[in-house]
Amino acid sequence: MRNLIAFLLRFQGVMLFVLLEVVSLFLFVTNSSYQRAAFFNSANTYAGTLMARRTQVTDYFRLGELNKQLLADNAQLRQQLYPPDFARREADSLPVGRDTLGHLIYRHLRPDPSQALASAAGQAAAPTGKPRPAAPRPDTLLLGGAKLATRDVAYPLVPARVLNNSLRAVDNYLTLSVGTADGVQPGLGVLSANGVVGQVKSASAHYATVFSLLHSKMAIAAKIKRDGTFGSVKWPGEDYSHALLDYIPRQNRLAVGDSVVTSGYNAIFPEGVFVGTVESFVKEPDKNFWTVNVRLGVDFSRLTYVYVVHNRPRTERDSLEAALTAPEPTPAKAAKPTTPPNRPRR
Amino acid sequence: MSVLGTLVRQLLRFGLYAGFQVLVVGQLPPLLGLGWCFLYLGFVLFLPLGTPISLQLLLGFGIGLAMDISYDTGGLHAAAAVLLAYLRPWVLRLLTPRDGYDAQDTVNVHQMGWQWFLVYLLLLVSIHHAAYFFLELGSFQHPLRTLARVGVSILFTSTALLIVQLLFSPVRRKRS
Repeated sequence: MRNLIAFLLRFQGVMLFVLLEVVSLFLFVTNSSYQRAAFFNSANTYAGTLMARRTQVTDYFRLGELNKQLLADNAQLRQQLYPPDFARREADSLPVGRDTLGHLIYRHLRPDPSQALASAAGQAAAPTGKPRPAAPRPDTLLLGGAKLATRDVAYPLVPARVLNNSLRAVDNYLTLSVGTADGVQPGLGVLSANGVVGQVKSASAHYATVFSLLHSKMAIAAKIKRDGTFGSVKWPGEDYSHALLDYIPRQNRLAVGDSVVTSGYNAIFPEGVFVGTVESFVKEPDKNFWTVNVRLGVDFSRLTYVYVVHNRPRTERDSLEAALTAPEPTPAKAAKPTTPPNRPRR
Repeated sequence: MSVLGTLVRQLLRFGLYAGFQVLVVGQLPPLLGLGWCFLYLGFVLFLPLGTPISLQLLLGFGIGLAMDISYDTGGLHAAAAVLLAYLRPWVLRLLTPRDGYDAQDTVNVHQMGWQWFLVYLLLLVSIHHAAYFFLELGSFQHPLRTLARVGVSILFTSTALLIVQLLFSPVRRKRS
């Protein structure tokens, strides 16, 4: 026994070293998985509060820049309130075919103006002089090129401030100023006005940690907007303004400047959210796919305000796909109703 | 100094290094777009010479984990910091002056001399940074780029720690 204690004391350094290394490497390797308590990352209350304070202070030094960004966003949104002149115009007739003489046959989509006037006069003055009801206020928000409902009570867009953001690491994460109290759940998508940002990793009551798009294990189901070819956007590392678009078959034609948007296949992001534009593409001899270099729409170095997005059919789809892939669906999960996640308290 | 005094002093140092790293240094733009400043290593590097090895390892693990929590790296900082804390006594033994360490000796550029201090600092910081960046990558895929990051970061961290030493370490007459 004494020998054992002597042995332990003699090699305490080595043993403690090995133990601590194993613990830290375990924490490091399992870091990318979702099944982690929110304590060991920046969503934990102490780290979150510290970063929120830091952001409060540093924000004072960049108020001008922040205001400029918000102004640009506002201008973009306001522009949708003023549709172009021809937006409300509709064709009053369509060519549907030719008669025996070769003249085009038109079908009127609406009653003839003269008939309409006559009928209106016939109906007389019941709604006299009453102006047409104003156009309804817009109920969608154009975010990164995709329309998202703004007034969907059950699934709101949750606005959030980025508290912490890394660019230099191999796996980058963000910390947001919203948590489960605001309805944020792990797995939800995160967008900014310029496009896709990432996916929520874990959330505490008031803070959330997000896998940035700049993460080695992050892949976003995307497509080329022009022809709808599906691919997958991955970040190869190094440069935070570029990513790669994989799995575009070699026979496809590509053009510099094509928009790449989300395809909505992995149910994290709604379909059609902007990701970036094609900047260059090369055919590599030993690959079946184009190597497409995409310039990201989001400037990760100056990310300030983002939105956490709920995708409506997600719960349903995930449970369906899980039921399809799992050999034996567990009754507890299968019977679980597809209720929306925690309603935000407002 | 009493045990309690030492404890309070070290806790204060822990808080200062960790806080300064998270609040100020970590927010600095990367040097040449590559390097990052690991100022918090000063906490482990400038511990008293006689600190027991187990305590050093635990303190290294503690400050590493604090950084991991702030930067969402899981256990990456902790792993590298524990390695640093483990190798520190070896390096100290390697650099022992001819007549051994005095009881009052600390890691101090004024007391130990520039040459001793620079060798000590560069050696340990290089080992730490090499371990950190290659572990982060998880492979040796982009050796040149990673080596560049290691090199620039060594420069950045060492300069910052040297400035910390020159500003805050007590000046005493050099040992003859």
